[in-house]
Amino acid sequence: MNDLGFPLLTALIVVPVLGALAVALVPRSNAALVRGVGVATTLVVAALSVWLLVVFDGNDAGFQLGEKYTWIADFGIAWNLGVDGISLFLVVLTGLLYPIAVIGVRPHHDPKPYLAWLLLLEAGCIGVFLSLDLFLFFVMFEIVLVPMYFLIGGWGYGDRVYAALKFFLFTMAGSAFMLVGIVALAFLHQQATGELTFDLVTIAEAQGSIAQTTARWLFLGFAVAFAVKVPLFPLHTWLPDAHTQAPTAGSVILAGVMLKLGTYGFLRFGLYLFPEAAAYFAPFLVTLGVIGIIYGAVVAAMQRDLKRLVAYSSVAHLGFIVLGTFAFTTQGLQGGVIQMVNHGISTGALFLLVGMIYERRHTREIAELKGLQKAAPVLAGVFTVVMLSSIGLPGLNGFVGEFLILLGSFPTRRWWAVVATVGVILAAVYLLWAYQRVFHGAPDEANAGTPDMDRRERLIMAPLLAAIVFLGVYPKPVLERIEPAVDRLIAHVEASSDFSQPEVAATEGER
Amino acid sequence: MTPAVIAQIEPIATPEIEWFAVSPLLVLVGGALVLLTAAALARSRPPRGFYALFTVVTAALAVACSALLWQRVTDPGRGPFTAIGGAITIDGFSVFFAVTITAAIALGALLADDYLRREGLDGPELYVLMLLSGTGGVVMAMANDLIVVFLGLETLSIALYVMAGLHLRRLESQESAIKYFVLGSFSSAFLLYGIALVYGATGSTNFGAIAGFLSGNVLASNGLLLAGFALLLVGLGFKVAAVPFHVWTPDVYQGAPTPVTAFMASASKAAGFAALLRVFVSTFDVYRLDWRPLMWGLAVLSLLVGSFLAVVQSDVKRMLAYSSISHAGFILVGAEAASDRGIAGALFYLLAYTFMVVGSFGVATLVGGRGDADHGLSAYRGLSRRRPLLALAFTVLLLAQAGVPLTSGFLAKFYVIGAAVEADSYALALIAMLSAVVAAFVYLRITVAMYMGDETEGAEAVTRPAVRVPPGAALALGVAVAFTIVVGILPSPVVDFARDAVPVLLSAP
Amino acid sequence: MSEFLRAYLTVAVFAGAAGLLVALMLGAGWLIRPSRPTAQKSIAYESGVDPVGPGFGQSQVRYYIFALLFVLFDVEAVFIFPWALRLESYGLFGLVEMGIFIVILALGLVYAWRKGVLRWV
Repeated sequence: MNDLGFPLLTALIVVPVLGALAVALVPRSNAALVRGVGVATTLVVAALSVWLLVVFDGNDAGFQLGEKYTWIADFGIAWNLGVDGISLFLVVLTGLLYPIAVIGVRPHHDPKPYLAWLLLLEAGCIGVFLSLDLFLFFVMFEIVLVPMYFLIGGWGYGDRVYAALKFFLFTMAGSAFMLVGIVALAFLHQQATGELTFDLVTIAEAQGSIAQTTARWLFLGFAVAFAVKVPLFPLHTWLPDAHTQAPTAGSVILAGVMLKLGTYGFLRFGLYLFPEAAAYFAPFLVTLGVIGIIYGAVVAAMQRDLKRLVAYSSVAHLGFIVLGTFAFTTQGLQGGVIQMVNHGISTGALFLLVGMIYERRHTREIAELKGLQKAAPVLAGVFTVVMLSSIGLPGLNGFVGEFLILLGSFPTRRWWAVVATVGVILAAVYLLWAYQRVFHGAPDEANAGTPDMDRRERLIMAPLLAAIVFLGVYPKPVLERIEPAVDRLIAHVEASSDFSQPEVAATEGER
Repeated sequence: MTPAVIAQIEPIATPEIEWFAVSPLLVLVGGALVLLTAAALARSRPPRGFYALFTVVTAALAVACSALLWQRVTDPGRGPFTAIGGAITIDGFSVFFAVTITAAIALGALLADDYLRREGLDGPELYVLMLLSGTGGVVMAMANDLIVVFLGLETLSIALYVMAGLHLRRLESQESAIKYFVLGSFSSAFLLYGIALVYGATGSTNFGAIAGFLSGNVLASNGLLLAGFALLLVGLGFKVAAVPFHVWTPDVYQGAPTPVTAFMASASKAAGFAALLRVFVSTFDVYRLDWRPLMWGLAVLSLLVGSFLAVVQSDVKRMLAYSSISHAGFILVGAEAASDRGIAGALFYLLAYTFMVVGSFGVATLVGGRGDADHGLSAYRGLSRRRPLLALAFTVLLLAQAGVPLTSGFLAKFYVIGAAVEADSYALALIAMLSAVVAAFVYLRITVAMYMGDETEGAEAVTRPAVRVPPGAALALGVAVAFTIVVGILPSPVVDFARDAVPVLLSAP
Repeated sequence: MSEFLRAYLTVAVFAGAAGLLVALMLGAGWLIRPSRPTAQKSIAYESGVDPVGPGFGQSQVRYYIFALLFVLFDVEAVFIFPWALRLESYGLFGLVEMGIFIVILALGLVYAWRKGVLRWV
């Protein structure tokens, strides 16, 4: 039990599950109650995540509010939770993005199972960010597939069955490698120390119990799973399908939260468990990330479907995060973490906006849309701000993340950073071009009658806009909470490999 | 006859019967005979569901006897023992399988109850045969002698041949019975020949004696012994449906009455693995370098062939049949590890699998409808609308088979993968997990049909006869799903059960 | 080659010789006989009654059931004779065992009787 006297982290996972059960038990006929229970649950989780933000100690680099209960004694598996500066904001992002997604989007049919699956998904996502036990982590990492599969398949558009199957099988294939890796890691650790455990911290701190070559192979096993989830080029092909066919709330959660499972996995497990191997493979992974940035941007520019365009922009943005992660500098990692949050906010908002356009026009074809600015000025205004955030305009949140990543990766990965900068320009190209085609010009007959945003839609976009501006203007409170954990992680990498952070990149506090 | 003559006759030393040791067997056989005779002599038909209830009660009694035996064998003061002149071993392993197989009997009987009435086949025969077949399975698990293994195998199989052909008016049922019978007898011959060769090489059929001989002597030429291993592996591999001895499985599983398939896939596979584990992993432990590569090959082939061929099926029963082959591959992964953890993993897998597969075929029983013919994927289209709970139960069971976390199926896979990795079989572990992904596609296809296939054939879904869910089958499905989820979340008791059920080698006293 | 396998060499030689002999004789016949096919020769029986109807004709099952019951008790007798000869040495144990065996078989007969198998329809 932690100092709070209240199992806050467990509650963050259990409350959505209980909410899902409650939703499942409410009779189908009472649609208002179903929705009420669902929304209330997400609000409670949001409140809990804000509480977590308040009680989090920003100066502590280690894991906080830990909770540990034995689960399967025979294997040394425990229900082991903890939070540090890296996972904190991802949990908060999940907690706060959920009410917006749930309130903002109404499903077209069967709201009851829809809400139940969404809430189970929330529990799984938060569970991934809080797990400090390899087994528990894998369970959470894998269980999120099921709700997402049913959400895409049940409430999606167009070729939803194909998209759902592809999403499930791609991710599961990646996880297969990781499961073997996790089991091997635990047993090798047992052979070296005599203790069978799946505890992340115990195994990670016992560097040297596993031979260098073995550790590299194991890292690759983990990396495949994370690379599929991120997704890194060339394992990204499931993403456009899943994002495009998913229902709007599904896309928001998929882009906002679930893609972060991969990059978070790289940070928490890749770097922490296998620092030497991570440093060894870093050039390779950074190259893939940069290819993703350029490739995602170029392909996004070619898209005719607005939602697919946003989906490909995710590939590019996640490439930035991978670049920052494997730059191994304080700024790079900080930028990576904050960019995860930024991408969640701005891409989530973009998907909401595309969903709103679809609700009005029943098409996402860019060619079919024209001059919406005239018909729906508020929608156009909000879209502009979110789009600029996604492009990385200074003063908005996207800039902070991308700038830190480029700053952090320049000393260690100079040429990659230079190429990645081109990606920033390309992002401006494809988003502005799409904006121009959709919103500018004189609307034709079909687009002229498009209604503007109603009050509910304005209400749900407001907090997102506020976050975009706040993080863009004053990111310090977030950054200073991330920094200790990031510094600790870099020190860990430096201690176990021949990598050392260049002086320029080290921050004031370290010297 | 004068007293003097009698004195000359030398009495044969007859073994002492320990009634307690064989009490689960006696309960099962006794129940079967009583049921058969009483049903034959009764003037009037018994109330609905009486046969099934009787079978379930018998099974429960057998489990109770097993529980007493478990107390005896886990008591540190007394421990495992052999009985009936060293013919059987009572250890955690035997008790584990007694429980597993009896559970399969009880669940199978619950499924059969309404099925037989629906098909107009009501009578005690199926239940009697199920009890007898289960007895054979338990004998195989208890065996401490190759001859006893064969005895159990034949009891198990002959009853199953008849059960497969029990649906008199379905041609496929008759066909499957003949196929199963011919191929089954063929494989029994292999097994028997293997027993003969091993006897020739070691001079005994008793496990304790064989293991003692093998560890105490170095054979100058072991061709005879290795040929014996190979033949034994063929015979047992047939029983557990491991590739390349699997060709009967899809046809027989598809043709047999669905509750029988459920029983066949669970109890018969469990019994086959009981013998396989005890004979190879425990008795032939010294020769592990010789049989592990064979087991490796069987495991890889079963995993790949099972999961890939399942993908191209369009009949759900055939899909499940092929997936049961790939499950056999997974259990072989545990056996290949040739360690205590490997055996425990295989045991955990078998117990979890028993509930998953009985539940899955249970759903197929209900959806199959009158005539037991409607097993195409289209029969499941839109099931989530017509029977949401049934669809949900099937989904849980299918996801468990796919190895999704928080189900017993995931823990089972995790357990055997752990054993394989511990034994340095990394390649096998990876192949197993990747073939699980392929198999997952099959299970997802069925869920797609149930949940996402309702729009294209909406009109057809309305005209389909409603799927009835009778109380007996509902109970069986409920138990299967509850077990799958509860063990998935709180596996510790079953993990400990499997860990303590690793077989011990005992020589005859 | 081990001594054990060498012993089987004779079997292999004999098997090969047998196959060769059959092939020789059939082959010689095939070579020297004239070939004059007629439709009559293709019928299953060259002489006698022409076959009528499909190959899978139905036949009365009752013969088989009686034959089965006969075999059952025939086998029982096969077990009982040697047992009776050595009954003294088996003692009470043997008596009880055979009692159980016969009772179980008798239960089978009861079942068959109640099912109406013994009535000739």
